[in-house]
Amino acid sequence: MSNPSTPRHRAVVVPSTPATSNRLAASTVQASPHYSTTRRHSLYGTEDRIILDPGSRVWKAGFSGEGRPRDVFFVSGSEQSTLWTQSRAAGGPEGEEKERTLKILLQKRLRNVFHQCLLTDPKSRKVIIVEHPLLPIYIKEMMAEILFENLQIPSLSFASSHLLALFAVGRMTGLVLDCGYLQSTALPIFSSRPLFPQLRTTPLAGSRFTSHLRALLLLFGTYVAPATSGAANVPSTSRSMRVPEEVLSDGVMEQIKTQCCFVGSAIESDEDESGEGDRAETPTAGDDSMEMDVPPSEFSESQLGSDIVDTPSSPPSSHLSGPSSFSVVTGTQSQGPRSSRHGASTREGHLQAIAEMYSKHSTATELRLRVDPPASQPQQAGATPIKGTLIIPGWIRERAAEVLFEGGDVDESSVAEVILDSLLKVPVDLRKLLASSILVVGGTPMLPGFIPRLHSELVRLLTHKVPPRKESPQGSPRRPPPFDPYAPLRQLAPFIAILNNPSPPPPSPEIQTSNAGKAPAFTPACLPWVGGSLAGAMKIGGVEVAREKWDEAALDEEEDNLNESTHGIDAGTAKRPKFSLPDWTRSSLPIGAPPAPRPPRPEAAAPQTAVGA
Amino acid sequence: MSATIKYYCSCLSNTVVPPAPHLPSSSHSFHTLPELYFCEECDAVRCNECVSIEVSGYYCPNCLFEVPSASVRAEKNRCARNCFFCPQCFNTLAVVPSDPPDGTSFHQANSMGEPPFLLYCNNCRWDSAEAGITFEKSTGLAQQLQKHEDSAPDSLEFERLKDFFEPLLRASSSNTQHAPGTSSHSTHTNPITAAASSALARDIPGVSKYHPPPPRSRQKSKHGSKDDMPTYRSRVEIGGINGYGAGGEKDADLFSRLEHPSQVSTLAQKWTGSWSVSPLSRDLKPIRIPLHSRLTKRCPSCRHILIKPEQKAQSVRFKIKLVAANYLPAIEVHLPQPTASTRRVPGARTTQDADQSNSSRSSLLPGKSYPFRLGLKNPLYDPIQVRLVVQRQPLPAVPSAGEASTEKSRRPPFAISLPSTAFSIAPYAEAWEYEDEDDLDGLDDDDGLSPVKAAKGRSKTVGVLEKKANTTIVGGEIVIAKDGRGDAKFNMLVSYTYRSDEPPVDEMIGSKRATDLVKTNPETKTFTFYTVVDLGTIIPKEDARTASPDAY
Repeated sequence: MSNPSTPRHRAVVVPSTPATSNRLAASTVQASPHYSTTRRHSLYGTEDRIILDPGSRVWKAGFSGEGRPRDVFFVSGSEQSTLWTQSRAAGGPEGEEKERTLKILLQKRLRNVFHQCLLTDPKSRKVIIVEHPLLPIYIKEMMAEILFENLQIPSLSFASSHLLALFAVGRMTGLVLDCGYLQSTALPIFSSRPLFPQLRTTPLAGSRFTSHLRALLLLFGTYVAPATSGAANVPSTSRSMRVPEEVLSDGVMEQIKTQCCFVGSAIESDEDESGEGDRAETPTAGDDSMEMDVPPSEFSESQLGSDIVDTPSSPPSSHLSGPSSFSVVTGTQSQGPRSSRHGASTREGHLQAIAEMYSKHSTATELRLRVDPPASQPQQAGATPIKGTLIIPGWIRERAAEVLFEGGDVDESSVAEVILDSLLKVPVDLRKLLASSILVVGGTPMLPGFIPRLHSELVRLLTHKVPPRKESPQGSPRRPPPFDPYAPLRQLAPFIAILNNPSPPPPSPEIQTSNAGKAPAFTPACLPWVGGSLAGAMKIGGVEVAREKWDEAALDEEEDNLNESTHGIDAGTAKRPKFSLPDWTRSSLPIGAPPAPRPPRPEAAAPQTAVGA
Repeated sequence: MSATIKYYCSCLSNTVVPPAPHLPSSSHSFHTLPELYFCEECDAVRCNECVSIEVSGYYCPNCLFEVPSASVRAEKNRCARNCFFCPQCFNTLAVVPSDPPDGTSFHQANSMGEPPFLLYCNNCRWDSAEAGITFEKSTGLAQQLQKHEDSAPDSLEFERLKDFFEPLLRASSSNTQHAPGTSSHSTHTNPITAAASSALARDIPGVSKYHPPPPRSRQKSKHGSKDDMPTYRSRVEIGGINGYGAGGEKDADLFSRLEHPSQVSTLAQKWTGSWSVSPLSRDLKPIRIPLHSRLTKRCPSCRHILIKPEQKAQSVRFKIKLVAANYLPAIEVHLPQPTASTRRVPGARTTQDADQSNSSRSSLLPGKSYPFRLGLKNPLYDPIQVRLVVQRQPLPAVPSAGEASTEKSRRPPFAISLPSTAFSIAPYAEAWEYEDEDDLDGLDDDDGLSPVKAAKGRSKTVGVLEKKANTTIVGGEIVIAKDGRGDAKFNMLVSYTYRSDEPPVDEMIGSKRATDLVKTNPETKTFTFYTVVDLGTIIPKEDARTASPDAY
């Protein structure tokens, strides 16, 4: 019994204790007076930090130096699926109210992290927040306020999630795509420095995938109502119907996403058609894309005309919004009961086209999922609820995620395009390096087959045949050459490598050592957290804000307010805090750039010096 | 529960005055009385959202074993004994012996059973042999599993990453060229020198550069060294995983051939794992039960202890327990509702309605007035004088229903009348100590209130209705406007005056006579707190006519 336990102790204790014990002893001397009053010794060294990865939907929390988070949980209440959205509520009483609610919810969750998940005393715990680069600053400030004032943590630091994810795979340079719930963000990082100006983002992410999946299920799924005792002998065919919206609750959608969905390989009957497939999936085939992308859309209409017969018949106004005509509708409204009515005909026509094409290209099996029947259906009182059955066609399971790979829209580039867009922005001499170390993190890439598909999508975008040039002089001489946004990157196609690609392409003769698939087998969703844990264990958690500093700033602000109110200056304008949390958007401009016309903030510059360790 | 009352804790806002009750966020500032604490030093109500919490002990909720804090960390807040959750259904697992080899259950050699022990779920009939886990002994299962966990790939990989980064960091933090021999040529780990050197090494177009023969591989290695990092070699590369779980084409293939969704584990079953493991639910491992903690709660401002539990996990007592219920009068609201109760169909429909959010609350009709009763119970050993004031509400700028704000909705949707003078509540005492004269006191006070009743022209609707032991019941009335809508919720300020520590007898008589409050009497203290009273929902006129017949 003792034998197996000995190596454990060595493994666990040795790396951490020698480093922390001295600090612990040192810190107890100057710790708060409260410490001497509590008899109980702290379990963890003060250098053990709490790593919190707060997503809009899922939070991960744990201690630094551990390989996995202690707890992962859905953060949202029942009323909304995400804690915050991309748009901050506008001012006015309604906006204030929304923000107040958000703050209360944040406080509850943060307290929950310490008291229910980690069972630890926040007053002696330093915290590292794994921060998405596009996390709104007001949310950051809210979190900091709660952590410092309500939970009274000793120090707080923010670390970029993309950078931490790179750490977790043992690198400091790479192009990281974080495909989360609200958005997918690609950020190149060189030598542990995030190149924030080159950040590119797209709303094609988990939330869009969910709404698309829901729209598909509503149209093409089948719901078999539970057999009631009175009508037990009714055959199941007569009980089956269209899927009622209530059946597809958030929980059921989550279950379908994790247990049923996967990403099939690209539809490849031949290379050109696969390109067409993507075009035809989107109604971009309509007029508005003509100027931008002429030859492919012509192609698609001629070749796949049978597939998209329904689409042209729909009113042309629907094409104004391009591919988002269906996805935006589903994205914003599928939570509410109105989604199926508004613009239903257009959307259905488009979805029919999708269905026809996808079902041809899918071999996945049809699945039956037990779901709770909608509440509106008559149910006998007192009886145990009988579950209905949701039949999910195989092609939906396989092809619902196609929505993430549909490109062609300027505002909503596909997840592959967003990587290439970012690469285009990157300095030329870094492109190859970054293209060969792409890292994909986030919850959506947990879909089986996502990463290999992304790789093939990237390669396809860079290698698909440029339409032959000879057409243009023949048809109309003033026609510009076909627009190929990624022409400068085409040479990089053989070098594209995704670090955590679980099925790396076979090594090509050109490149001896490819990075593809060389990352450790951490799951994409946990990579930022693991990186945070690593950074915490090595004490490089980014700029640290100590509580004293926060308290000082709060005091200063109070004094200022007092002074200003005595001087009769409007309190509303004087509200701006002089102290601000470190954030990349506030970093000082590089030397040589013209001076910004904003007033200098001396305090803000101080914590910026040691970014990224 | 038709009408509810909740008590306000001011921790979420900067002001003492509670937010308007129609705001949805206000619901988080109000709590039921049993949830609240009371700090004697600060003389203030504290709630669970503002008290600072310390852990005073850990225990396993399953075996109630009190876990010494030394092992809490090593065991990652999990029970280190025999307590496991079923990975499929999160039920508690039981340890069972395996079947005897001859297959008949009667031939058990000893009472302990046969050596390969299994964890078995009584709910879903999962057993650990499915996951390939058996135990030699029936005790200390966690320790037997420990060796699997120690060699967990994620922690090994994590240590490896740490070992990889640490020399790099040390080198860069010392800010010198690091010791020779650590790595071949990547000497500048300091990002600044790295950036500088890479800038120098950049190709300049037009300037021929020295290239050893295979240019591609040379370029490659140059690029590899651009960020001046030795390459990290993973212990387990994700591309090299043979089984399922990495999320590659193999998994996609598995998913495409799936027969039933339950073959794949759910999100909750696997998402704390940071390592790529098989998505199949049959490969799930039993979960050690997470520990619970006993909490000490302190006042956030003066740090006095409000709650201190006893050490023993089995004990449900507290060493220190300063709960608000011992300080503030407990208030109950009752809204007699003849109209709505007759409309409601009793039986199964009601229970179904209760699932929907608002239907459990009583519904009020516009243009009517409803009497309601507030029962106040005195927890103190002294009599208290209570005064109730309804907080004037700011008119909702945006009506809660989201309608266009016409001048109609600018009017308050309802009006509340409450007894405006103070009334007394007898002290708390053991049941046998009460005497009949308490009732007489109550009658005396009623006389003082009679003008209010007279003004109302109504008998016994508003005012003190009943006094019994340490409870006083007062009546109030809500008049709902003709076009009222929304919730009939209002904030009520309760202030009560009690005698501070040394009450002389003559003072007591004096205060009984006096309807006046504190200021005249230096020996008394007043405590005020806010509550929100929720009487129910006002059914708007048009809805009441159309919607209610089919709703009920």
